[in-house]
Amino acid sequence: MKEIKFLFAIWKANLQSAMEYRISFLSQMLGMMLNNFMYFAIWIIFFDRFQDVRGWGVNDMYVTFGVLASAFGLVSVLFGNAFLLSEVIARGRLDYYLSMPRPVLLHTVASRMIASGVGDFFYGFISYGLSGYLTWDGLIRYILATLLAAAVFAAFLILTQSLSFWFGMMSNFSQLVLNAMLTFGIYPITIFDSYAKFLLFTIIPAALMGAIPAEFIRAFTWGTLAQLLVGAAAFLGLAIFVFQAGLRRYESGSAIQVEV
Amino acid sequence: MKTFRKYWSIFQITLINSLAYPGELVGRSLMIIPFMWIFHQLWKVTFNAAGADVIGGLTLRDMLWYLMLAETIELGRPPLARTMSENVKDGSIAYILNKPYDFLLYQFSTAMGETIFRTIVNAFFGSLTVWFLIGPPNHPEGFLIALPAVVGAWTLHFCVNAMIGLSGFAVEDVSAFTWIYQKLVFIFGGMLIPLDFYPEWLQAIARALPFAGMIYGPSRLFVTPGPELFINVMSLQLTWILALTLLLVIVYRRGLTQLTVNGG
Repeated sequence: MKEIKFLFAIWKANLQSAMEYRISFLSQMLGMMLNNFMYFAIWIIFFDRFQDVRGWGVNDMYVTFGVLASAFGLVSVLFGNAFLLSEVIARGRLDYYLSMPRPVLLHTVASRMIASGVGDFFYGFISYGLSGYLTWDGLIRYILATLLAAAVFAAFLILTQSLSFWFGMMSNFSQLVLNAMLTFGIYPITIFDSYAKFLLFTIIPAALMGAIPAEFIRAFTWGTLAQLLVGAAAFLGLAIFVFQAGLRRYESGSAIQVEV
Repeated sequence: MKTFRKYWSIFQITLINSLAYPGELVGRSLMIIPFMWIFHQLWKVTFNAAGADVIGGLTLRDMLWYLMLAETIELGRPPLARTMSENVKDGSIAYILNKPYDFLLYQFSTAMGETIFRTIVNAFFGSLTVWFLIGPPNHPEGFLIALPAVVGAWTLHFCVNAMIGLSGFAVEDVSAFTWIYQKLVFIFGGMLIPLDFYPEWLQAIARALPFAGMIYGPSRLFVTPGPELFINVMSLQLTWILALTLLLVIVYRRGLTQLTVNGG
């Protein structure tokens, strides 16, 4: 309970800080929504020409893209520093968080908000609304699926970026796997063979951020819910374990400084 | 001639600088491998589902080599607009503006210097991947024929990117403009789907815009080289390069009057 109050306090401070530059905040939010719409237009053109890819149509793409965008946006807004964790570790800037009486990982990842993520988050709901699958119970499943997909995504970011404890600055690698996660998450899962699907559930768990949440939103089954719950719990557990193991190797950068 | 040597030297220095961190250069270029793999999966299934060997004048092999060059051009271009915006934010723009060279030509020389090795390394990994997945290109000579169009594409990219960067003189944060520009290139440039696959009305619009000269033109020329296509692509590029350069100079002159330098 104490940690939840702490989290809300950080999020409130992040939001107030972002709202200090309202025009910039609004332009980033609206710019990202327009950006997403324009990216999706390519899929509309594709499915206008080919209609169907192994049973996967444009409506499925709307749901998949929607849940992926909302999950990405949620992590950007609430845990924006997860995208920069590798740099924080490699530059010795964990010192600041270690000197505070709060959980280091939670404090670190929550201490930044990426304003454009708000645009991603809301765009996802619009995309779901346009899919033709919108129902009241579907909307509840959409919210639940977004939360679980966001948990997988945040865990994936922490996991890959924590490798910096062992290998130093890994911004290129982090960018590479992040792009792979998002790209594989958006594409229709039906195009992949069984080896690729195995990869998308394990090493780059893009299926748990795109295709499986989308399947759960379209129609409830205990099987997909279990996949999402187990996936989110397993990846979160693994991410926390790897971060904690890495933290024991962490060497101070003698960089205690005021974080602004 | 002396003026040209000055910018040639700037180009050479940037070119050498871009080789200072080879690990960084290679690491950044590896992204093209999963992109090409996923394109192979998507288009293999799509060609199978359509039951056709040729769609829009392209075979599956042409399609993958087309996408390889499209990705190479896109991934090879440096983030010029973001760099210019950062220069405005941290005040370092003041040190560039007061030097004895033309600001736009300086930016052009550095942008070209940064682009060349990025493109070569991307093309290397992209070609290896596509060759492994589907075999060599049907027209290897297309690479040489497409080269002038690739240089034209870089110049067009520079003109638009510099204009976005210059908007940083007034608004400082240009990220929203860069996202939208990138998506315009994706859609109207035929970045993920060649323009031949678009509905007729959209093809007509896209083919007239500069974005077609940035991606579609050089990539299509590479896979289906021919004199008529070459002339079409080069005339589209030259027309837009002239128009955008003129606009860029006007925007730069107006932008200077709005610039506020924050420290430095």
